[in-house]
Amino acid sequence: MRAKDLSYSVVIGLLAGLGFLILIGPVVIVLLTSFTQGRSIRFPPSGLSLQWYQLLFDSVRSSQIHRAALNSLEVAVVAMVGATVLATLASVALARRSGTWVRALDTFFMSPLILPMLAFGLAALMYFTFMGFRPSLALIAIGHVVVVAPLALRTTSASMSQLDPALLESSASLGASWLYTFRRVTLPVIAPGIAAGAFLAFVGSLDNVPISLFLAGPRSDMLPIRMWGMMESTLDVRVAAVSGVLIATVLVLMLVMERVVGLTRRLRD
Amino acid sequence: MSGEQGHTLDIDSVTHRYGPVTAVADVSLAVRAGEIVALLGPSGCGKTTLLRVVAGFVRQSAGSVRIDGKAIDHLPANLRNVGIVFQSYALFPHMTVAHNVAYGLQARGVPRGDVRRAVERFLEVVRLTDFRDRLPRQLSGGQQQRVAVARALAVAPTVMLLDEPFSALDKGLRLDMQIEIKRLQRQFGLTAILVTHDQDEAMSVADRIAVMNHGRVEQFDTPIAVYDRPATLFVSGFIGTTNLLRGRALESANGTTLVELEAGAKLTVPTDRAFAAGAAVMLSARPEQLRLHAEAAAGRWRVHRRLAVPLGPNTMHDLETRDGVTLKLVEPRLGPSVEPTGDAWCGLRPDARPGLFDIATST
Repeated sequence: MRAKDLSYSVVIGLLAGLGFLILIGPVVIVLLTSFTQGRSIRFPPSGLSLQWYQLLFDSVRSSQIHRAALNSLEVAVVAMVGATVLATLASVALARRSGTWVRALDTFFMSPLILPMLAFGLAALMYFTFMGFRPSLALIAIGHVVVVAPLALRTTSASMSQLDPALLESSASLGASWLYTFRRVTLPVIAPGIAAGAFLAFVGSLDNVPISLFLAGPRSDMLPIRMWGMMESTLDVRVAAVSGVLIATVLVLMLVMERVVGLTRRLRD
Repeated sequence: MSGEQGHTLDIDSVTHRYGPVTAVADVSLAVRAGEIVALLGPSGCGKTTLLRVVAGFVRQSAGSVRIDGKAIDHLPANLRNVGIVFQSYALFPHMTVAHNVAYGLQARGVPRGDVRRAVERFLEVVRLTDFRDRLPRQLSGGQQQRVAVARALAVAPTVMLLDEPFSALDKGLRLDMQIEIKRLQRQFGLTAILVTHDQDEAMSVADRIAVMNHGRVEQFDTPIAVYDRPATLFVSGFIGTTNLLRGRALESANGTTLVELEAGAKLTVPTDRAFAAGAAVMLSARPEQLRLHAEAAAGRWRVHRRLAVPLGPNTMHDLETRDGVTLKLVEPRLGPSVEPTGDAWCGLRPDARPGLFDIATST
């Protein structure tokens, strides 16, 4: 019995360790590499320095990267807001209803998660071109809204389904209209779910490559694509430094979200 | 500013179907002003559906609900002015106690000063003034329930609906809250409906009890009448403990019926109506309506005493008849007069008025 328990713990421990290694390993390697003293992306780094970060934050020599980063941020904010509003409306409409139509709509809204993004990127490019639009940041943002909205919808509808219907009924019997109830009860109660969804949508847009790849034009360079370009042509170590900044940013955001809304709990539901 | 005098509530031939299932079947109840009526029944008997019809959460398939004689069927829940306290209390988790109580008045656009005064008043009524800035999760179950009651009272509802409000409380607190609710209901002259599956709760809180089964009201009467004179076999089994003895009616005359029990006795019981000679009947006798004897006599049947358990001042006997029916009998413990086990004879107490019901002959 004890030996069995022990071997069970050993197996689980090893698996957990392996998972940890696969998940954390690359992050650590990229971070360490970004602090290299050398002139190429290589692990282990040859000595430690901040030179690549200094270069990255140099507004003259890294202006293209800054441009791309600002574009990506702008698109991520717009996509986050758009996706969050759509997801909230959809989850309020679909919550606690059953029926063929409701299920069909739910599946429809979630479908961008399964749809191959490259195919959607190409389709979006053809569609927008056909309608006479030129590639632009706005088009990229629209494309991102489509693919990140399901992420926001998942956490928002999870919160909606946990919202006690008795709260809404109490509110109604106390004389509140639907709108008043929505503003003072529904929205505040599901706010953590909405916030978690917004965070997912933001991050999902920030490092989206397939949609940006198709919809980006010469004036709308996006950060992930610029990074890829830098890797391809020059093995520029600044790519590692950008990764470092991204990882740190997301980590900080995640800690803040965990504090404020209990992010991991929202994602598990 | 609050409903100091009660309002009448009339439920008139209300039927509700969920698809093919009839949850409420042609129920009519006239609730008097200031009266508290319990809807009592097993789960699935339709009591909750009926409550939701009155609250306006469910639109009934047929029939009408009237408050003070005026039909409210066309009104949505937020225009009915019907208060409700849920089993889960359904307090708004992100609002303080004071904000919860203020909610209904704010939703109605009552001026701020009046809201503040009402909140103070009702927090005092439920003795939670010191807790005004707490969040619901920082309160005990009983306190949460008092907030829910204050919140519902604050809007001066015409009728108060209580949906299993005590079942989430532990036993000691439950009795306190039952008394508290009853006190508030009296104080405000509220007309109230209490939905419950707990007969003790219905007995102690309600002025009248509507016993429901399969969507119908089987009996609507005072707690004592429902207990002492159950109208149907279901009521006699659902309210209190009872012993069921199968038999045949031999003849009815002058308000009594002679019954031959399968347990092996002929006895005369007082009845309100006549039974056809030879009709299959069920005799329903409460444990305290039976008596143990050491000797055989007319109207007594032989029982085997399996167990005797002291219950405070009483002894509860667990008996088995010759035909295998288990009986419970309670009698005062007056010394060791009868042997604790072995055979004995069981009969009705002379003043007992057991229920006698027709049963389908096929069963």
